[in-house]
Order: sequence, then structure tokens, then C-alpha cells
Amino acid sequence: MTLTNLLAISTALFALGTVMFLTRKNSIALLMGIELLMNAAALNFVAFSYYSPSLNHPLDGQVFALFIIMVAVAEAVVALGIAIAVYKEYAHVDADQLTELQG
Amino acid sequence: MVQNLFYGGFVALTLGAGLYVAIGQNLIRSAFALFFTLCGVAGLYVLLAGDFIAMIQLMVYAGGIAVLLAFGAMLTHKVDDPQHSNLLVNGFLSFISGTAFFSLLFYVLTESSWRVKAEALSEPTTKEIGKLLLKEYVLPFEVVSFLLLVAMIGAVYLVQKGENQTQKGDRP
Repeated sequence: MTLTNLLAISTALFALGTVMFLTRKNSIALLMGIELLMNAAALNFVAFSYYSPSLNHPLDGQVFALFIIMVAVAEAVVALGIAIAVYKEYAHVDADQLTELQG
Repeated sequence: MVQNLFYGGFVALTLGAGLYVAIGQNLIRSAFALFFTLCGVAGLYVLLAGDFIAMIQLMVYAGGIAVLLAFGAMLTHKVDDPQHSNLLVNGFLSFISGTAFFSLLFYVLTESSWRVKAEALSEPTTKEIGKLLLKEYVLPFEVVSFLLLVAMIGAVYLVQKGENQTQKGDRP
């Protein structure tokens, strides 16, 4: 359990999220990829806060991870609202077929 | 010793379930695997002396977002037929680029020398985080609360708007 080890785990999560974001057409699956990316970023913050805490503010990394979680919640709620609105309009959530503005 | 045991378990849970999320074909199964990934990350937070943030991760992510995404996965047409509903596109190219991305970042982080100071003490952090949020980070805290309010109203508006339109469309 070292800092490099944890950073490698976070990097692996980030790469998995990127691959998921690149390979999927379903917009719900894209959302899952974004959640993986956000978790990787927050894990980085907490790991650095544990292994090299700043002198006067040892908990700043955890506060930043908290803000990441809050922003992720707002993003997930709005994105799912959009997905439901799209589903009511088109009866699917396939991101590749939403080309009405393509001209 | 016990710490390393738990660490290995949580890492295996996180990465194994994360791999299943990324390459699994069935969307519902991916949503449940995502739940286990988030639980594994929460366990890592506990080992990194973040008790409060681990609880927030469990309640908000594993309890809220994972369930919300499982609900969203039900919107998919023919979810039990991956060939139809959840096709992998550009699988080979994405695999190569993902591996290259990981290798590059891994090389950078193993070659660079991080400044590791003394490890933080594992003591309850809730009180200190509360003080930080209401003293030094009070402006971001309030902005985030406003953002959450806007997101909630926006989501309700988006969903309700579609319903009004379909009701109007249904009327003769």
C-alpha cells in the first residue's frame, strides 16, 4: 500500500472509464464511464491527502473529493433527466442515432 | 498485515468489477458491477484515513447514483440482447488506445519521484471537514448547494416537459 500503487489503481480506473466511453453507443453506458472517471480523480485526491498532507491543511484533498462527489451527483441527475426526456421523445437512448441537429 | 489483506481485497473488488463494467455486454449487469466498484473505492477511502468521505461515497454513489443508473439502464430497448442494445464499437482500437494511455500514465507515475511526507493519522475527520467546509471553503460549499438546487429543478423540468407534450399529443 504505497502512493505509487494507489496512483496505478486510479490510473487503471481512469483508463477503464475512457475505454468504456469510447466503445459504447448507449448513453447510460457513457454515464457509467463518466462515473468511473470521476471516481479515479477523487481517489487521486484522497491518496495524495493521505501520503503527503500539507502542513496546515491536512484534509484539503478530502474536501476536494467531497466537492467532486457533489458535482458528480448534479451531473448524473441532469444527465438521467435528459435520458428520460430523450426516451420519451424517441423511445431509445442510443447516442449515435440522435442526429436531428446534424443538418 | 490485516491492513494489506483488506487493501488487496478492496483493490481486487475495485479493478475486477471495474473491468466488468468496462467490457461487460449486459447493461444491467454492468450497473450492478458499478455498484461493487464504488463499494471497493469506498473501502480504499477507509484505508486512506477518510472515514467521512467513505460514508459519503457509500451513501451518495453506491446508494444513489448506482441505483439511479440501474434505473436508467431499464430505458434501454432489448437490454438482454447486447448485440442489439449495447454494441461495442471500435473495440480493438479502443483497447489499444486505452492500454497505451494506461502505459503512458503508469510510466510517468513510476518514473517521477513523489514527495511522500509522514502519513496522515487515522483519526475521525468529520469534525475537521465540517470546520473546513464552513470556514475556508464556505463559498464553494454554497455554490455547490446552489448547483444541486439548479440540477434538481432542471431534472424535474426536463422530465415533466416531456410528459406535458405527450399529454397534449394524446388529446384529440
